[in-house]
Amino acid sequence: MSMFPATGSTDTRLLPSRRGGDYWRDLDWVLLAAALAATIFGSMLVWSASRADLASPSDPQSYLKKHLINVVLGLVLGFIASRIDYRWLRAYTPIIYAISVFSLLLVFIPNLGTKIAGARAWIQLPGGFTIQPSEFVKVAVILMMAVILAEKDRADEEPRSKDVLLSLGVAVLPLLIILVQNDTGSVLILGSVALAIIAVSGARNTWVIGLLVGAAVSILLAIQLGLLKQYQVDRLTSFLNPTADAGSIAYNSNQARIAIGGGGLLGYGIFNGPQTQGGFVPVNESDFIFTVAGEEFGFVGAGLLIVLMGIVLWRAIMIAMRADDMYGRLVATGIVAWLAFQTFENIGMTLGIMPITGVPLPFVSAGGTSMMAVWIAIGLLENVRLHSQQQLP
Amino acid sequence: MKQMAAPPRQRRGTGSTSQYRHAVVKGHAGKRGMVLLIITTMAFSVFAVRLIDLQVVKGPDLAEQALSQRLRTTAIPAMRGSILDTKGAPLATTVEARNVTADQTLVTDPVAVGAALAPILGVEASVLATRLTGTRRYMFVAKDLSPETWKQIDALRLPGIFSEPTLRRIYPGGSLAANVVGFVGADGKGLGGIEYGMQDLLAGTSGSTTYERGPGGRVITTGEMTRSSAVHGSDVQLTIDRDIQLIAQRQIARQVESARADSGTVIVMDPRSGHILAMATAPTFDANTAATSPDAVRGNRALSDIYEPGSTSKVMTMAAIVDQGAANAGSAFTIPSTLKRGGKVFHDDVAHGTWHLTLAGILAKSSNLGTILASERIGGRKLYSYLKAFGIGEPTGIKFPGESSGSVPERSDWSPTTFPTLAFGQGLSVNSVQAASVFATIANDGLRVQPTLVQGIVNPDGTVTPAAAPKVTQVVKPSTAKQIRLMLESVVGKHGTAPKAAIPGYRVGGKTGTAQYVDPRCGCYNGQVVASFIGMAPADNPQLVVAVSLINPRNGRFGGQIAAPVFKRVMTYALQARQIPPTGKRAPRLLLTAG
Repeated sequence: MSMFPATGSTDTRLLPSRRGGDYWRDLDWVLLAAALAATIFGSMLVWSASRADLASPSDPQSYLKKHLINVVLGLVLGFIASRIDYRWLRAYTPIIYAISVFSLLLVFIPNLGTKIAGARAWIQLPGGFTIQPSEFVKVAVILMMAVILAEKDRADEEPRSKDVLLSLGVAVLPLLIILVQNDTGSVLILGSVALAIIAVSGARNTWVIGLLVGAAVSILLAIQLGLLKQYQVDRLTSFLNPTADAGSIAYNSNQARIAIGGGGLLGYGIFNGPQTQGGFVPVNESDFIFTVAGEEFGFVGAGLLIVLMGIVLWRAIMIAMRADDMYGRLVATGIVAWLAFQTFENIGMTLGIMPITGVPLPFVSAGGTSMMAVWIAIGLLENVRLHSQQQLP
Repeated sequence: MKQMAAPPRQRRGTGSTSQYRHAVVKGHAGKRGMVLLIITTMAFSVFAVRLIDLQVVKGPDLAEQALSQRLRTTAIPAMRGSILDTKGAPLATTVEARNVTADQTLVTDPVAVGAALAPILGVEASVLATRLTGTRRYMFVAKDLSPETWKQIDALRLPGIFSEPTLRRIYPGGSLAANVVGFVGADGKGLGGIEYGMQDLLAGTSGSTTYERGPGGRVITTGEMTRSSAVHGSDVQLTIDRDIQLIAQRQIARQVESARADSGTVIVMDPRSGHILAMATAPTFDANTAATSPDAVRGNRALSDIYEPGSTSKVMTMAAIVDQGAANAGSAFTIPSTLKRGGKVFHDDVAHGTWHLTLAGILAKSSNLGTILASERIGGRKLYSYLKAFGIGEPTGIKFPGESSGSVPERSDWSPTTFPTLAFGQGLSVNSVQAASVFATIANDGLRVQPTLVQGIVNPDGTVTPAAAPKVTQVVKPSTAKQIRLMLESVVGKHGTAPKAAIPGYRVGGKTGTAQYVDPRCGCYNGQVVASFIGMAPADNPQLVVAVSLINPRNGRFGGQIAAPVFKRVMTYALQARQIPPTGKRAPRLLLTAG
């Protein structure tokens, strides 16, 4: 029954008494402020990127409005995630995980699933909204792995190999489904999340090194055996040879660099970036939103965005390191790995130093599910912090 | 919050109540968290370096690259100036038109759209369907449609069908003055006539708009935009009178056909101003469809074709003799049946015995031998200088593209037969305008006014720049001119060679010509002739000169027979059109025969 250790006996006596702490006082306000600032900045960028071509002609704010609804939903979900009791969360994690993985499969139902930019990763909802289940799966996998690996009779011991394998299975199952959906970016994120959680859980070095080698080998095999489609390989390798094919894949990254470079030190000002407003950079409201910051707000704006993301990650890492229980630490670690990898990947591909895979920039890009998922992540981080704070004598 | 001051790690280390908590802090789990922090910091440093590289180091280059990608310059076409007749009626003008284009990717049903367009465009539906099928974003469907036609198409609201404004050159009169006005090519540039000769003035200077646009062609409204407006072309006002031109064209076309001539020209000139009121050529062409007409009909033969003037040239010889005081209209000459000069035996057109003729009689009967005898009273050198003064061998001054000046041999090149030949109009060549100008000089009391075709320029701002004043030279004395005019009236009289040129009520003077024509195919005399008649009216106060020539007529041969009737009809119309009344006097009778 180790699969469902929801109410493990070891922790119950250590659970905080909420009465002892003050929710608002003990929140990590720096983390919250940085994430909120990135979200507000992101909304301005989304507005600027969308008003020329995505918004309805009569209302240049229509796309922004949709985006802001997602932001509010994200904040509400984040608030809830920060207040959920650990016991409750651990008890229901298997159900959350099961629902998430199941929803991944819904994408394959013909009239329900939608294909965007080659990836079949969205569920169509009425009212023009779409849900990307793989975003929620990231949260579910983190929670599930944390539950499994934190369940130890003696905490100073390494996790048992059985648990490591089980947690690995928890990550690999949705990863394979997502791989079939051609959502390469999410696959890489899930992989790094699993690796980070297993590493921090205290598993033996052989596990960590073995997983790294295994990941590298499977990527090479996937390319060698033709499991990846040619366009996926092109995307992954185009950054190495940016001028190879000006018409297709390299076009995106080339246009991204041109837009960012044109911004110079201070940028053209909001709504005035010509490459942005002219629609030269594809999907610049989402995957390539960093180009909008670069062109319209220049080095100062793009730098500010990097600093904000840096603060978020720094605070998240601190929360993970200071977590006083393995479960909280693993949850925080998983979130750190997720946000960090996604941020590196997104900004890196925009700057032409990482392969192009379609992942949104956390807090900044348009995209409802992503926005909700990253704010749930912030809520969970706060929850872990509150747990550690309030347990102190 | 009081506990927050101390680092959690130390606090836990000292005050832990739980081995679980203790374990979490120890071990490689904590170290691995540090590793994560270091990796993150390094990655962000790489971003910062890359950002500085892109935005600060390569920034200006990339901004330049971006701008050149966005900037698009489109020309604003300048409105081409019109070509007007002397009263301001348009002979050539430019109107706005529409080109219909298609974005093939937006045409969902090419067959249906083609079928809808077919009746409006007058093009087969299947042809249109082909133009509408494919993946091209920009494709011409039809060019140069009238705005009304486009409105019809636009009303159908066909998906993927667009239009762009364009300019179209039209010639309201079709063939009216087409050989003078010329025509434009597909690119709207002049290819012939005034259209070609005055291209720069007519064309103006096109302007341009430079704007920034996105990859889909959408204009970036916040981008830079510069605009230099077009300078429209000037209108060119000709001396041509549309009404007289029309009649002249009709008459010469009719006569070329009925005389089965190769071609024919008519010049109508105002001798006082030098203005050319009509310059007709047959056969001609419709300037609206110039591309489909052969080269041979598109030129302006009145200025480009040269021929030996023959008898009409005798007017110059007579004027020189009279002007020099060597003889007058009544001076008597005895003319043998043949005359040997320079080892060559000369004849008249008709075989005759010894004739006794006055100078006027020599001209009226167009006697070559008489003309030779009379000219010997002044000599070759004098004759040559008069010919030059009448403008023979010199450009007309019209500066028309493709103009040929004709020639008169240099004195140093003369052979013993040159002088007698020149005297009666062979061995030199002229174009129709030069020939008309000789008569205009006589008509204008010996004062030669350089022929003019362009009356003025109407600038884009509406101001008018008149043409430069024509060059004026006194070639012969007024009294000489008057005497020659009287002699010319005899030609039209019943004993002259061209009674068919007479116009009831008006005094008319003129001269026939039936010159041997050098067949351009062999460069030799081949029995072909140029039949011509050049005359003026009213002869005692000439206000109009009309010159008619027909090249290589096969039905009829003499100027008096086939050219004079054309003269009569054109002159009659022109006199009425110009509201020139008869002078009401009768011509004095000159003695034609002597002794």
